[in-house]
Amino acid sequence: MAIFEVDNLSLHYLTRFGKKIHAVTGVTFNMEKGEILGIAGESGCGKSTLVNGLMGLFIPPLYPTSGDVRVNGESLMNRTPNDIRQNVLSRKVSMIPQGAFNALNPTRKVKDIAADVMAAHLKNVDKKEIYDRLVERFDLFGMDTKKVLNSFPIQLTAGERQRSVIGISTLLNPQMVIADEPTSALDVTTQKVVIRLIFDLLEKGIFSTMIFITHELPLLRHVADNIGIMYAGEFVEYGTTDQIVFDPRHPYTKALMGAMLSAEPGQKQKKPTAIEGAPPNLANPIFGCRFADRCPVAKEDCKKSEQEIRMVAGRQVRCQYAE
Amino acid sequence: MKQFLTLFKSPMFVIGFSLFVGTLLLALLGPLVFNITTERVGVQYAPPSGKYWFGCDDLGRDYVSLLIKGLQASLYVGFLAGIIATTLGTLLGIYGGFKGGLVDDIINMVTNLFIVIPSIVIIILISASFSEGRSLTLIAVIIGMTAWTWSARAVRAQSSALKSKDHISLAKMNGANTFAVITLHILPYLASYVFMVFILQVATGILTEAAISMIGLGPLDTVSLGTILNQAKNNGALSDGIWWAFLPATVIITMVVFALYLINTSAEGVFNPRLRK
Repeated sequence: MAIFEVDNLSLHYLTRFGKKIHAVTGVTFNMEKGEILGIAGESGCGKSTLVNGLMGLFIPPLYPTSGDVRVNGESLMNRTPNDIRQNVLSRKVSMIPQGAFNALNPTRKVKDIAADVMAAHLKNVDKKEIYDRLVERFDLFGMDTKKVLNSFPIQLTAGERQRSVIGISTLLNPQMVIADEPTSALDVTTQKVVIRLIFDLLEKGIFSTMIFITHELPLLRHVADNIGIMYAGEFVEYGTTDQIVFDPRHPYTKALMGAMLSAEPGQKQKKPTAIEGAPPNLANPIFGCRFADRCPVAKEDCKKSEQEIRMVAGRQVRCQYAE
Repeated sequence: MKQFLTLFKSPMFVIGFSLFVGTLLLALLGPLVFNITTERVGVQYAPPSGKYWFGCDDLGRDYVSLLIKGLQASLYVGFLAGIIATTLGTLLGIYGGFKGGLVDDIINMVTNLFIVIPSIVIIILISASFSEGRSLTLIAVIIGMTAWTWSARAVRAQSSALKSKDHISLAKMNGANTFAVITLHILPYLASYVFMVFILQVATGILTEAAISMIGLGPLDTVSLGTILNQAKNNGALSDGIWWAFLPATVIITMVVFALYLINTSAEGVFNPRLRK
């Protein structure tokens, strides 16, 4: 049984002047227990908005337009933020936020930040109990636990900060974790440490299922079972990692693969090519294919009809000409 | 707290701080050392002597007593005006900057309105309209109510920049309300800044009080450093060469304000990591 189901989820932002910006449109996928789903796409394509939607936490100006998100068959839609916080977040779904340095308040110690987070998710908590739990969990990470917990974020190294953030996010043993670009602000060596840490937790059974959001496709290739490629708020292609990486079918996925440097043998000579143009403005209504303006194989009628998801070579593709 | 202690490593701060503490001690402990009286004790404009260190005024009152009382009054006005202006400015600035939207627009409009109208004009008009019962507290409140604008604007800029930080949106995600976000996540950031604003507001309060007292719109119920200058001016002490009527008061005002400015400048050097040595 799928533990996480997303059914035709659409989200919009409401601006101050009553204008709607449709940041995410018609996202559908299911996840089995133990699955790792990678979501990739360029900056501004709606990845981080999708994360908020997947947790069922709608803080204005973000609102759900339509669709449903279910964890273990239980819908997250139309629930109060407090209900979500105490019954869903941290226990069933937890988020590892982007950029560890910005995620920690520089004027508070790590243990106080953790206590704050726990207080938001548990009703009656004892500071001592939280502290013991933190020590136990942080010890797993191979850090100087006492020092880290009693430090201000500025006194820690980038890796320690990221580990603290991950430790706090997974303290209540969530069933699944949504990692929103956990490595985007780190250098390559620290990235590797952090990825290893996340997978360590996965192996130790602290959580089993994960959505990994990033704009680094090479990383996804190594960690994900399935990959969804996002463009302008839509999933344009969704399939297994091998399908997406080695045999992309949607023109955008192909272009994305072409825009990447590869260290594979025989690929080193290949020069990366940029995708011309810019994504459409989501504040305006869009007709037809959203990628048509930049697509190398677009035809006249691409902009006339809405693109439906088709099954092409065993994966979902949102393009009528993909083969 | 640690940061406030590092202030004492800056010589400029130590000088400013000791000057300020000196004047504070003079105001607080002066009455214990000197015999403070506002009764007539000597002849009109008695020059400085061993008995009356700074001479006497036109009514034959001892200037040492008047200066100590005046210093107390000036510091009281400065601190009260500073507390009012800083509190008002910080609260409005943080709230407006953090909330954004219409609330921010309205607060901004009011702030701009107060900035455009010179505050001295408002203070003079309000003071002049209270021809009776113009007390020291009233003057302090008026100064405080007009001086908050710049601090509000500066604090607004800071809090509006802070509100888009990730840890603040995460705090909101964890259910922190506006009050919690402001007190736990924004105010600690701005603490050193608010401290510096407060020092400047106190200095402004003292100077403004002296200015309006000097033109005759000062408090009617007590002596302040400004009213001493006003008296000296009215009686033509300047042209008569009676220096002890205006020089000591001027020096004390200058010293207090100079000390506060030194504290403020040195604090910036400590709180701003780029200027830290």
